[in-house]
Amino acid sequence: MGAVFILEMKKNLQDRGLLFWMVILPIILTVLFITVFTSGAEKIAKQEIITSIIPGYTVMFVFFIIISMVSTFIKDRDLGMTARLASTPLSSKNYLLGKWIPYMFMVCIQIIILFGFGKVVYDVQMKQPILLFYLSIALAFTVTGLGLAMALLVKTENMGIALTQVIALGGALLSGLWVPIEMMPEILQTVATFLPQYWAHQSFQDAMHGTLMLEDFFTSLLVLMAFGCGGFLLAMVRYPYFLKQARG
Amino acid sequence: MLLQIEQVTSWYGKNEALKQVSLSISKGSCYGLVGPNGAGKSTLLKILASIILDYQGKIQIANQPNGSQKDQIGYVPQEICLEQNLSAISNLYFFGRLYGLRGKELRKRAAEVLEEIGLSERGKDKVMKYSGGMKRRLNIGCALMHGPKLIIMDEPTVGIDPQSRSYIFQMIARLKKKGCTIIYATHYMEEIEKLCDGVAFIDQGKIIEHGAVNELLQKHAIPSVFVKGNQALPEELDRFGKVTNHHGGYLITTNTPIPVMEAVLHRYQDEPEELIQLEIVRPRLEDVFFSLTGNELRDDKKALQEQAMGGKW
Repeated sequence: MGAVFILEMKKNLQDRGLLFWMVILPIILTVLFITVFTSGAEKIAKQEIITSIIPGYTVMFVFFIIISMVSTFIKDRDLGMTARLASTPLSSKNYLLGKWIPYMFMVCIQIIILFGFGKVVYDVQMKQPILLFYLSIALAFTVTGLGLAMALLVKTENMGIALTQVIALGGALLSGLWVPIEMMPEILQTVATFLPQYWAHQSFQDAMHGTLMLEDFFTSLLVLMAFGCGGFLLAMVRYPYFLKQARG
Repeated sequence: MLLQIEQVTSWYGKNEALKQVSLSISKGSCYGLVGPNGAGKSTLLKILASIILDYQGKIQIANQPNGSQKDQIGYVPQEICLEQNLSAISNLYFFGRLYGLRGKELRKRAAEVLEEIGLSERGKDKVMKYSGGMKRRLNIGCALMHGPKLIIMDEPTVGIDPQSRSYIFQMIARLKKKGCTIIYATHYMEEIEKLCDGVAFIDQGKIIEHGAVNELLQKHAIPSVFVKGNQALPEELDRFGKVTNHHGGYLITTNTPIPVMEAVLHRYQDEPEELIQLEIVRPRLEDVFFSLTGNELRDDKKALQEQAMGGKW
């Protein structure tokens, strides 16, 4: 597993496209939207907007890692790497773990950078850092779990890109990542509670303000882990078919 | 025997990809596997490399069941299975680590393999900057990192320049000299003639003929005599074999080339300057291949079969 882990980390860290999607674009959009929405706002309102936008855009953009996950699995399958690795002592379980764990790291790094940017540039509050830490890991697990399911379910890379956009952008729209959830119609507020983005965003905001109750923290954690586990379960069901396809 | 394959049958969907394939390959030999597209060569190699696990029959490698000693096998796939964004060294390290190589040992082995495949100078370059031949050599190098005893090569010279091909031939010769056993699948008959001690012809999932290359040539291919001159051929040559027009001369397919040559020389003895060319055409493995498999295009046949079955979709 170590060999696959090292290779994937190397690939990801050298991938400039991934750097753009994961860090540069979210920072550009965060700065842009904060500038637009805070112009003319009072200090308290301004801070409120910033504390909504930074976790909001972080949550939205972590979902784009799914594209990269889909791409790596589909390429491995289509270019024969999955089959090639089956001829080595690497077990299929370790192959899967070796592919997945680097993405967990990448998402965690992404959250640290984006939150760090918020802290340094906008002095965003981080009043409950330990809770933020655990929530970040849970979110990374959710996203990569769903990413794994998607990577093993879709037949083509384009299909994966299209579905990721639906999940990331659709989820962002419905979960109140762009517009404060209180301003959305009641029906959409109910729909939002079925989406992982909503739970991540709300609990991140509360933890930043220092108002996240332990009960709410555990509820959010549980919901996020449930989505992640659901993704993993789907991936496990699909994995044998993926391997069969890859091995020809 | 290093490799013993007994009655191996495998399926591709509902179709049999391999039908009761049996082969024995001795230690230290280079064994060729030849067949048209879709004949089952790659399927057999993937079974040997433990990639395809769904098959019936028995395979033993050095008296051990197949799959129990993956570290003894190096598989060179038909596809270029490399990380294009990384360097050759990173790719070699990756495959070395899969076989448990670490630290100094890993670095030393990677340097040796780079030397072996002739890429020492370009080891730090990204694979995407390599030519097709360099990628093919690195593809082989990745399979050599752990020093396997049995090397399975699936069309390793597809689409490369003659220099790279020649380099790969030399590499294979060196590996053979070191005692490695090589299974080599290809479409190129001259490669088999040049590299292999034995060959198996596979068609529609069956081994239709196998044996030592020279034995097969003697058994199946009939030599010919090529004559080109300014005079008509002696009529009596018909009795030696089939006479056909060939490249502005005549090709006489015969089991007795010497009497044919004598007859031609006799015909030209008064005017030897009129005889332009007279030579025995050595039988080629390609002739054996076509005589065993026919000239019909397999892709067309396969497509028609699929159409008759309602297509794949």
